[in-house]
Amino acid sequence: MNARNDTLLYLDGVSVSFDGFKAIDNLSLVVRHNELQAIIGPNGAGKTTMMDIITGKTRPNEGEVYFDGSVDLTRLDEAAIAELGIGRKFQKPTVFESHTVRDNLELALKKPRGVFSAWFYHADDEDETRLDEILETVRLTHRQHNLAANLSHGQKQWLEIGMLLAQDPKLLLVDEPVAGMTDAETVETAKLLKAISQTRSVMVVEHDMSFIRDLAARVTVLAEGSVLAQGSLDHVSADPRVVESYLGR
Amino acid sequence: MITRTLFRAFDGKANWVVALLAVIAVLVPLSNLALPVGHPLRVPDHFVPLFGKYLTYAMLALALDLVWGYCGILSLGHGAFFALGGYAMGMYLMRQIGDRGVYANPVLPDFMVFLNYDALPWYWHGFDMFWFAAIVAIVAPAVLAFVFGWFAFRSRVTGVYLSIITQAMTYALLLAFFRNDMGFGGNNGLTDFKDILGFPIQASTTRAALFAASAIALALCFIVCSAVVNSKLGKVLVATRDAESRTRFLGYRVDNYKLFAFTASAIMAGIAGALYVPQVGIINPGEFAPANSIEIVIWTAVGGRGTLVGPIIGAILVNAGKSWFTGVFPEFWLFALGGLFVAVTIFLPKGIVGAFTGGWSALKARRISARAEQGSDIAPEPSPAE
Amino acid sequence: MHPFRLIPKLLLALALLITAAPGAFAQDVEALVNTLPEGSYSDREKVIFDLAATGDDRVASILKVLGEGDLYVREEDGRVVAGKRAGRDYALSDPLTGEALGAAPSSDLDKIRVNNRLRRAIRSAIGQLTLMSPSPSVRLTAARSLLRNADPDALELLDEALAAETDTGVKTVMELARATTILKTDAGLDEKTAAIDTVTARGNREALAVLTASLSTAPSELTPAIERGIAGIERKLAMWDGLQNVWYGLSLGSVLLLAAIGLAITFGVMGVINMAHGEIVMLGAYTTFAVQQVIRISFPGLFDYSLAIALPLAFLVTALVGIAIERGFIRWLYGRPLETLLATWGLSLILQQTVRTIFGPNNREVGNPGWMSGAFDLGGLSITWNRLWIVVFALVVFAILLAVLNRTPLGLQMRAVTQNRRMASSMGIRTPWVDALTFGLGSGIAGIAGVALSQIDNVSPNLGQSYIIDSFMVVVFGGVGNLWGTLVGALTLGVANKFLEPFAGAVLGKIFILVFIILFIQRRPRGLFALKGRAVDA
Ligand SMILES: Nc1ncnc2c1ncn2[C@@H]1O[C@H](COP(=O)(O)OP(=O)(O)O)[C@@H](O)[C@H]1O
Ligand SMILES: [Mg+2]
Repeated sequence: MNARNDTLLYLDGVSVSFDGFKAIDNLSLVVRHNELQAIIGPNGAGKTTMMDIITGKTRPNEGEVYFDGSVDLTRLDEAAIAELGIGRKFQKPTVFESHTVRDNLELALKKPRGVFSAWFYHADDEDETRLDEILETVRLTHRQHNLAANLSHGQKQWLEIGMLLAQDPKLLLVDEPVAGMTDAETVETAKLLKAISQTRSVMVVEHDMSFIRDLAARVTVLAEGSVLAQGSLDHVSADPRVVESYLGR
Repeated sequence: MITRTLFRAFDGKANWVVALLAVIAVLVPLSNLALPVGHPLRVPDHFVPLFGKYLTYAMLALALDLVWGYCGILSLGHGAFFALGGYAMGMYLMRQIGDRGVYANPVLPDFMVFLNYDALPWYWHGFDMFWFAAIVAIVAPAVLAFVFGWFAFRSRVTGVYLSIITQAMTYALLLAFFRNDMGFGGNNGLTDFKDILGFPIQASTTRAALFAASAIALALCFIVCSAVVNSKLGKVLVATRDAESRTRFLGYRVDNYKLFAFTASAIMAGIAGALYVPQVGIINPGEFAPANSIEIVIWTAVGGRGTLVGPIIGAILVNAGKSWFTGVFPEFWLFALGGLFVAVTIFLPKGIVGAFTGGWSALKARRISARAEQGSDIAPEPSPAE
Repeated sequence: MHPFRLIPKLLLALALLITAAPGAFAQDVEALVNTLPEGSYSDREKVIFDLAATGDDRVASILKVLGEGDLYVREEDGRVVAGKRAGRDYALSDPLTGEALGAAPSSDLDKIRVNNRLRRAIRSAIGQLTLMSPSPSVRLTAARSLLRNADPDALELLDEALAAETDTGVKTVMELARATTILKTDAGLDEKTAAIDTVTARGNREALAVLTASLSTAPSELTPAIERGIAGIERKLAMWDGLQNVWYGLSLGSVLLLAAIGLAITFGVMGVINMAHGEIVMLGAYTTFAVQQVIRISFPGLFDYSLAIALPLAFLVTALVGIAIERGFIRWLYGRPLETLLATWGLSLILQQTVRTIFGPNNREVGNPGWMSGAFDLGGLSITWNRLWIVVFALVVFAILLAVLNRTPLGLQMRAVTQNRRMASSMGIRTPWVDALTFGLGSGIAGIAGVALSQIDNVSPNLGQSYIIDSFMVVVFGGVGNLWGTLVGALTLGVANKFLEPFAGAVLGKIFILVFIILFIQRRPRGLFALKGRAVDA
């Protein structure tokens, strides 16, 4: 109880297996308020699966998952978890392709999610300003009226980050955000995430080591479904087990 | 807020459609009733109920489009909602016959006398009142859709699975309504209606009125659908269609949205069925046949799903074609219908309207890019960040 | 009217008559028949005895015609003829040979009249001819009718017949008839107790009826024994009824299995629902019809082999049609399962109408070869050969398919594509080729399902429609990607259907099943045996 009291996200002894294969094995992990945490690990380590568990897509076989110290996430569905304030960017960028960029953001904007409130919703000036700001931040202003389907891979990544911003979550789960981005954009993304983490918590999964370095965050190394090492990037890179299972390859 | 949402329903296209329907609702009955027989501009008598029937089909196709075109739920059971609305209206019309039936029983419809009923089954009470039947025509399909959808969407049955169980639903109802003990006239259904709201059902004035009612109902449905799809609700529906689980992760309860669309659609289908029955004079279990429901899908597909005008055009075109074919080459109709299914899905996936607007916007895009090349006002696309 | 209704009463009379006329000579039947019109009623009675005494096979039928008053003398030539009213005239035939003799108005015919006494004599003669007939099946029928109409007066004759009876099957029925009769007489308690035991031992529905009927007349000392007997039989019958329902269910289930298994394969591997699947089954059935038609016309001797010829042919025809459908249409709709569903529905309409145009809209007669017709009893079960063969056939097809999927390279590739199409394709499996072959295989199996269905159902252009929804239900219930799911699904639904029928009626039973599946799929959206894994929800 005490241990999870002032955490934003608290995972303890979480395991999940698919047809006997343990994708997550006794995983324990904590994200504190306003913390930026980077997750690295070899392919198949269970990083995406961990996000699936946090966001309610996959139910753990055992273990505890708590949000904000007291909300048991294993009992909630995806929509409820999202409404609590957990936003997620997917590894494979998924945006609403037959909507315009602006509509994508409008859909993500933090507003009541009920059917009838959506029917009678009308964007007021404040909402429009917010959308303009986000478009500016993710540099998609000039494409705001284009269909999202026509964006490039990198632009879709940005759009998804924009949608995360519009959701205004307390915790952002960001799965491989810089795949498909130019080096300059990667640097920008790192800056953006750092700025965001001033006021909320961010968990980033990424393979790009220079990006991780730019983040200057606490790093957690996952391997075979559990935590291998934790600490600063320099600290974990020095860990021989990490070198063997991940960096060395 | 509500007015603003309704106001949004009237975008450019909707204004035209609603105006056109209003004109038809006035002009067709007027020309049929006011002009003398033989006048070149007079709409012939048989045309009024026939076209009225097409209008109810158009409503049905529009209803299906709301769930299929905008929400990705391919219902192969929408005929069931239509038929339920039709049966509710048929029960009212049956009670209106009173003692003018063959057996002259003041309360029991003929088929009940024939099957030796000695009292009206409990669920036939109240149908002597029009308002009651009208409410049931809306509530019965709505309840069926709500209960069915609640189960199906909550447990995330999607895609072809969902299509198949909607088909099973209408098939089960077909079997049920075929049974004599259900008390809905079994095989023969309900027919031999005499009058509606006190007006003789065959009279040309009544038919004209029913026609006008169908046109107005279609226009109202169109406005409601337009208000839905032009709102954020409509955007969520489309988002659900394209990436259901992504929509969930944004915090939308996708099940509720689908349930709303499905139930609203069923209500429209029920109203269409209630308007259909007095114009064709019969309702029987055949309306529940799975083949009927699939036909609705092809009307929508031909016109263009995901557009609101498409299903209306499709329903009218396909049914006019069907009337023509079954008159001239009856044995070829199934070939034509089958061919239509194949051709539309393979060559015209967006339907007539989709192809037309697609062509239009391609044309526009070409013009814009041509102008851009000439260095006019359109700013060149910034190169995508890659 | 059953000719044997009144036999028992008359048998006694017959027995007396036989002893009263010991000198009956085996005269020529034809000559005797020709003497029928002559003389008085009592002369005629004597002729009837004489006829019976000949023991000739044809006598029973002549006597029957006479008893019904349908025997006439033609005035122009004095010939004895059988006449049946046909419009205003009578259609005449020879009473012995059945040969048609044209028609004549009633004015040209003289009826050979019979009175009640004669009628009685005729019936007893028929009874004697039957209960003592050389043919066991005739004796069996006679014994059964005695069982239904037990008469104490016939006891003696029955004893006589029993003593002479050699066939055990007939003997059991006669014994039962005798026991039944004894329960109706005022025989002693011991004898009646023995009779009750005999009846109870028989243990079928007839025996149950006998015991129930005897309950009201039997002395009170016997009531407990009878009631015990009734309870015993009812238990036994309930068990056999249950088993019979299981059998009907298995038989329906194996038909469903045949119809659904091809669907399950294509759905599993390609993710498309083939709405024309039912029509492909129908094509298989029509192939059988065409084969039989050719055989009937050109090689009548091969009829018993018609199914053996039709099977590979149907497989080939439908597999080719399936491959053509896949290459021609489905391929273009790849990744759009709902559109595939619609396009194949269109194809199903076209196929149906094509067949209707070629073969006509009516049912076509497909015959059962000798080894497929008839039935046999197994304990209290009645099993028809065609159903039995279809069950066997379905299981064999299932086993072969299982072997194909698990043991052949094609099967391996199909399973790979089922589980992860993209991965399979990147590993060098030619998925389009696998798709086409899968579709061909699924369709071919549908075709041989059609051959089987032609043996138990009407072959009409609507054949496919009547099975398609049930096949869907099997696939949805059993889950895709695993043939065992289809097997379990088909058999479960078949048996459930047949078990619901007695309580709810066929239609309501079916509705229950549909509602059950609609609810079931909410619990397990991917069926009983679902594939798991990420690829599924991708
Ligand atoms: N739904 C699922 N079914 C079966 N296996 C799964 C499922 N989800 C993940 N896995 C497996 O779990 C392991 C971890 O995957 P993932 O979390 O995607 O790794 P990564 O760390 O690269 O994101 C992988 O081996 C993957 O195949
Ligand atoms: Mg991953």
